[in-house]
Amino acid sequence: MAAEAVAVAATDLASVQASQLGMKALGAGIAVGLTGIGTGVAEMGIGSAAVGAVAEDKDMFGLALLFTVIPETIVIFGLVVALLLLFV
Amino acid sequence: MLKPKQMSRLLIAASRDQMVPVITELYRHNLFHIEEFVDAGAEGYEGFKIGTPLPGASEKSADLIKIRAIANAISVRGDDIETAKPCSRAESRKRIEQELPVLEREVEDLTARRSKLDTRVKEFEQKIAEITPFVNVPADLDLYHGYKRFIVFAGFVSREVSLSVPSEMYLSKGKKKNFLVAIVPAEQRTEVEKALQEASFQPVPLPDESGAPQGRIDYYAGQISAFTQEIAEINQKLEGVKNSHADFLVACEEFLKAEVEQTEAPLRFATTKQTFVAEGWVPSEDVATIIQALERTAGGKIFVTELSVDYEHENVPVEYNNPSFATPTQVLMDVYSRPRYTEIDPTLMVSIVFPIFFGLILGDVGYGLILLVMAFGLRKFLKGEEGRQLLAVLRNASISSIFFGIIFSEFLGFPIPGWSPVLYSRHLMAAENGGHGPNIPELMVLSVWIGILHITLGRVLGMVNHARQDHGEHRMKAVLANFGWLLVMWGLIVAIWSVASVPLMPNLTGLPVIVAGLNLGIIIGVVLIVAGIVFIAQDSFLEVVEIPTIVSHVLSYARLVAVGLSSVAIAMVVNFMAITMFIEPQLNNLTIVGIFIIIAGIGVFIIGHALNTALGILGGGLHSIRLHYVEFFTKFYKGGGKKYVPFGMKRRFTED
Repeated sequence: MAAEAVAVAATDLASVQASQLGMKALGAGIAVGLTGIGTGVAEMGIGSAAVGAVAEDKDMFGLALLFTVIPETIVIFGLVVALLLLFV
Repeated sequence: MLKPKQMSRLLIAASRDQMVPVITELYRHNLFHIEEFVDAGAEGYEGFKIGTPLPGASEKSADLIKIRAIANAISVRGDDIETAKPCSRAESRKRIEQELPVLEREVEDLTARRSKLDTRVKEFEQKIAEITPFVNVPADLDLYHGYKRFIVFAGFVSREVSLSVPSEMYLSKGKKKNFLVAIVPAEQRTEVEKALQEASFQPVPLPDESGAPQGRIDYYAGQISAFTQEIAEINQKLEGVKNSHADFLVACEEFLKAEVEQTEAPLRFATTKQTFVAEGWVPSEDVATIIQALERTAGGKIFVTELSVDYEHENVPVEYNNPSFATPTQVLMDVYSRPRYTEIDPTLMVSIVFPIFFGLILGDVGYGLILLVMAFGLRKFLKGEEGRQLLAVLRNASISSIFFGIIFSEFLGFPIPGWSPVLYSRHLMAAENGGHGPNIPELMVLSVWIGILHITLGRVLGMVNHARQDHGEHRMKAVLANFGWLLVMWGLIVAIWSVASVPLMPNLTGLPVIVAGLNLGIIIGVVLIVAGIVFIAQDSFLEVVEIPTIVSHVLSYARLVAVGLSSVAIAMVVNFMAITMFIEPQLNNLTIVGIFIIIAGIGVFIIGHALNTALGILGGGLHSIRLHYVEFFTKFYKGGGKKYVPFGMKRRFTED
């Protein structure tokens, strides 16, 4: 009886652990995906304005690049969260 | 180092008859940055006017335009030409007078003939296109025109048409469209048009030709091939001109450019009827040389003096002053903005930290070697100064990449056999293969440490800059505000250390509890934060809104690990696909089909790693420079300095 219970508990534990792993992977995927979309949406407007500014004046390139990559931090945060979820 | 070259302002005054020797001397030294005279009645300049160009300016400009037109027509560029033996001044002048008109006529004739032929070719191609639909109609082209009582319709229809009026009609069926030719009496025009419109008739122009259509097409095609041959001959001749005259052209271009710049220099001077005055900047170390040289040339009939300068308010031109290994990085500084004269020039710091960041992101011996080869190989193609500098930056970055590749033990995503990573591993799949898995938490904390130190350095530099540049009440406030930012950041860090234990960071959770369960560390942290906010607010209250950027800027340095790991992941995926999926199973059981699969696997390997190299340059370069531009420079750097452009040129093809 007791041995059976232990066996059941063990399989339960294994399935719970597997499902936890899956949840982690899902969470990591969602973190990178959503932050990627966020970055994309944010860079969309900045990027088009930046290209316009550079077309007017080439000296703006550095500043334009800087503005364009500012939202990049969002997806990096997503990537950091994903890595922490998967490996920590 | 850390400061631009020191500049002094010179004032040169002399009588007009000294103008030419003075200009020549200044041009030769290539040191004097002319401060342009503006005719706005400035103090001390009443009655002065902008000068007029020296005699011969317009002829020289005209010659320069001619040379540039020829150089353009035969695509000669100074950058592409290795420095030959430089021509002397007299030789250049003589050759311009003798050879230029001949060369100009020759090139002009050839290019004019070529463009004429090009037009003819286009014209004939158009004719062929017009005749082509009529090829299938068994009638000569003369039959389509010359009628008074008949109208000719020719064009494409979507389906067969039957006309109710008396007509001569021919329909040739095609795969997609049918071509119809109809000759109808003029009075039945409207009915025919109506009938044709129902079949969605698209008219084509009637060729004004005679004879059989195919015959005409053959004739024109023959003409076109004759013309193209002639064009090829002309191109060959132009190539010959290019080979024999390229040296001459670049030398003349340089010579005339120098001449034109000199003859037009008085446009930047202040002049009266008898005298002229020029103001400008010279590096302080060269002031004595310039003054001596000018006095010698003018035989003492000149007044040169160093003016006292208010460096805070004058827009002083900026020339970098860096040790030679940091000079290539100036190109990255110029992309952002040249430093102002009074502020710290961070080029040296960027030149050290940028390659380190690049190496941390793309730490891979294989990719590093590929980039190193690229940095040397591309030298043949990029000859401009900026290109050279960028390649030197790439070279430094790739060396750092190789160094960190050894530390991380990575070669194209594989662990280096027999060599385990020093300190921390980034091998994502190593755990499954029995090795040590990636040390992600440690690497993350390491990158955050780098961020904390880099930002602290930025804020300290900000304090120095404000102390140097500002005055009065604002000076203290601005310095304190920068200090306040440091206090808030370090307060937050101390508070975090006191709440949670973080690997690789001091653990302050064990400090004695003082009040309400809060230990000493938390209280110190909170005090630092509050003091910092007060310091920030006394300078500008709105800045307080920006406080969360402290967290985001520090965490932003996590990209050093995150972007690097993504590059490692791509490399490992490529290796897994190419080797484990394609190549290995086939090698165990070799068949003929297997050989093709192995070749496909090698293709995947090469394309995948080429893609990852490109991503590595973009990721490593862009993210490293972004960390400088956004996280580092915003703490202290303003930029907007004026570039130091001395009057003169670096001669490559001519002698003085």
